[in-house]
Amino acid sequence: MNTRRMITGNGAAAWGARLSRAEIIPNFPITPQTGIIEEIASWIASGEMDADFLPMESEHSVMSALAAASSAGVRVFSATSSQGLMLMTEMMFVTSGLRLPVILVNVSRGLSAPITLWSDHNDALVQRDSGWLQIFCSNNQEVLDSVVMGYRIAENSEVLLPMMINLDGFTLSATREPVEIPDQDEIDDFLPAYDPEHTILDPKEPMSVGGVVFDEYMYFRSQQRMAMCNSNGVIKDVCAEWEKMTGRRYGLVEPYLPEDAERALVICGSESAILRYTVDKLRKDGEKVGMLRLRAMRPFPCEEIIDALSDVEEIGVIDQDISPGSGGIIATEVKACLGRSVTSFIAGLGGRRIGVEKYEQMFKRLGRDVEEWIF
Amino acid sequence: MDILKNMALKKLTDIPMEDFLVGGHVACQGCSASLGLRLALKVLGKDTIVINGSGCMTLLPVYPTTPLRVPWIHLAIENTGAAGTALYYALRRKNIKANILGYAGDGATYDIGIQSLSGAAEKNIDMIYICYNNQSFGNTGHQRASSTPRASYTSTTPSGKVEAAKDMPIIMAAHRIPYIATACPSYPIDFLNKVKKAAEVKGMAFIDLLTPCPVGWGFDPAEGINIGRLAVRTGMWKLYEIENGRVNVTYVPKKRKRVSEYLRAQARFSHLSDEDIGAMQAEVDEEWDELEERGYGYELGI
Ligand SMILES: Cc1ncc(C[n+]2csc(CCOP(=O)(O)OP(=O)(O)O)c2C)c(N)n1
Ligand code: SF4
Ligand SMILES: [Mg+2]
Repeated sequence: MNTRRMITGNGAAAWGARLSRAEIIPNFPITPQTGIIEEIASWIASGEMDADFLPMESEHSVMSALAAASSAGVRVFSATSSQGLMLMTEMMFVTSGLRLPVILVNVSRGLSAPITLWSDHNDALVQRDSGWLQIFCSNNQEVLDSVVMGYRIAENSEVLLPMMINLDGFTLSATREPVEIPDQDEIDDFLPAYDPEHTILDPKEPMSVGGVVFDEYMYFRSQQRMAMCNSNGVIKDVCAEWEKMTGRRYGLVEPYLPEDAERALVICGSESAILRYTVDKLRKDGEKVGMLRLRAMRPFPCEEIIDALSDVEEIGVIDQDISPGSGGIIATEVKACLGRSVTSFIAGLGGRRIGVEKYEQMFKRLGRDVEEWIF
Repeated sequence: MDILKNMALKKLTDIPMEDFLVGGHVACQGCSASLGLRLALKVLGKDTIVINGSGCMTLLPVYPTTPLRVPWIHLAIENTGAAGTALYYALRRKNIKANILGYAGDGATYDIGIQSLSGAAEKNIDMIYICYNNQSFGNTGHQRASSTPRASYTSTTPSGKVEAAKDMPIIMAAHRIPYIATACPSYPIDFLNKVKKAAEVKGMAFIDLLTPCPVGWGFDPAEGINIGRLAVRTGMWKLYEIENGRVNVTYVPKKRKRVSEYLRAQARFSHLSDEDIGAMQAEVDEEWDELEERGYGYELGI
């Protein structure tokens, strides 16, 4: 029997790893990720979870350990945040280049300096070119569901790419919500044991992994790109199966766009809940507004964005991130994908409160091809 | 793994014939680092998985070929320890019995990878970590590392290194791992008995392997083995083991050669004056006098 519990986003991530039967959990603590590894440590100690807990000496070592254990054919899991994710950068590319289906949860937190503990998306988005699939969650249930689905997607032989699952620090990581925890049996049917054909470190089948290439380099990169393209369809298939099993629907994007919507804001992460509330409020007043939540950042769901927004007249994109000298990272990508101008709002950096009034203000200020900072 | 169990190697013909690093790779002529790996694999055998840290040896497998007949993985320069840690647990889960051999350079070990190595040592991971030591960042053009000996020319110490090399075996001893040794492929019997011991101990073993490098040190590739012998016979590279906090010298040169014989044979020391060399000789003499007094073995007290 499925159970419903009040758990935090961190708890949901830990449950995702447990239900997926991740076997090696290298880790290093950083706020606000710590709840995830602490929960897993307690389950391993109590025998509720059969896994090896490896306290490493740095996040660089965590990602190295994930890659090494995954190369030996073991299902692995870890979680980090912010500075920790930055320290993993070198190994992020190695892991995706070796095509290892590692799952990493990032509890997003703004980057230092100056130090902030609160959430924004710059940490995750720094890694958008690293060849990892990237999913942004909007609530705790989605965190659990995304981890389990993540292994199915990452381990698919048409994909074989690592996946980062992002949840917002504190707003999700430390906030309790009711979360349905599926039965282990049900998950075991959905997600069979990992059985790699690709990279194997076993003396019975000697292979050299991670060596030098010359001209072939570009060929390997193009394979990686093809895998990323393939993942689009695989994500949809896996989500459809999940929906059949749980009744919960996910995709690459989540449109909240009634037919008549003339103005829309694009957003990702947990802030979408407040934006959605604002949309409902404005629609009650007769305003023709809507929104689109991006769930997948990689693969970037361009077709889905075009489909969703082609009839919308005025579009704004909310970025909880900034690429100084260029602009909002998501706005830049949405613009390139739609081939038309959008209004770019930079908001919520370092967890700065946005709130209903400011979303209302953003809806009023659409229709201009500018970058506006909402303090 | 079992071939040589409980049997010490005594002569060259005791060394297994079978190779797991075979010809056709691109290491330089006279490279002792590739020789060290070839020798170690002879003793460790086919049930061995090699983890390599970026350096000269990373160029052994060049796609789509590989000279390695055992599994090999290269991830990056600074994480051989971390990869070994994870691989140890992964193999245990997969029920695969194999030696885990870390084979990384001195720069990867003494400098950029020391954190990860320390993590694996603190956990006493059952792996053999051989640091092949050419006393510089070789692959990038022989720059200074903390393993570079004092006075050596490198491409970033044009007038000779000021500081002495870090004492890595002692740092490892402070981690209380069960086996630590120094070695040199010019003394294959000494080296391979150490590899054997390293494989047999439960827990982490660390071997600092001096691997003379014709390119970085400036000598004729034909002289590689001789240079290694000179390093040992002059007393500049000591062969010893550390077990249970006790240092034991495994080779005492009968009549130590003058250090000038070793130093003058290499371009990296060519800027040294006779006086400089005299001072270095005095230092080496003092060290060996002290060792002799202690009977070539002593407690570290850590
Ligand atoms: C993070 C990182 N920094 C720098 C390098 C460049 N690099 C490649 S090989 C190498 C030299 C390593 O020296 P050592 O470990 O002594 O091995 P050797 O080249 O001497 O065999 C360096 C610095 C790298 N690969 N990764
Ligand atoms: S540069 Fe030195 S260590 Fe590197 S491959 Fe050549 S001889 Fe060997
Ligand atoms: Mg070196």
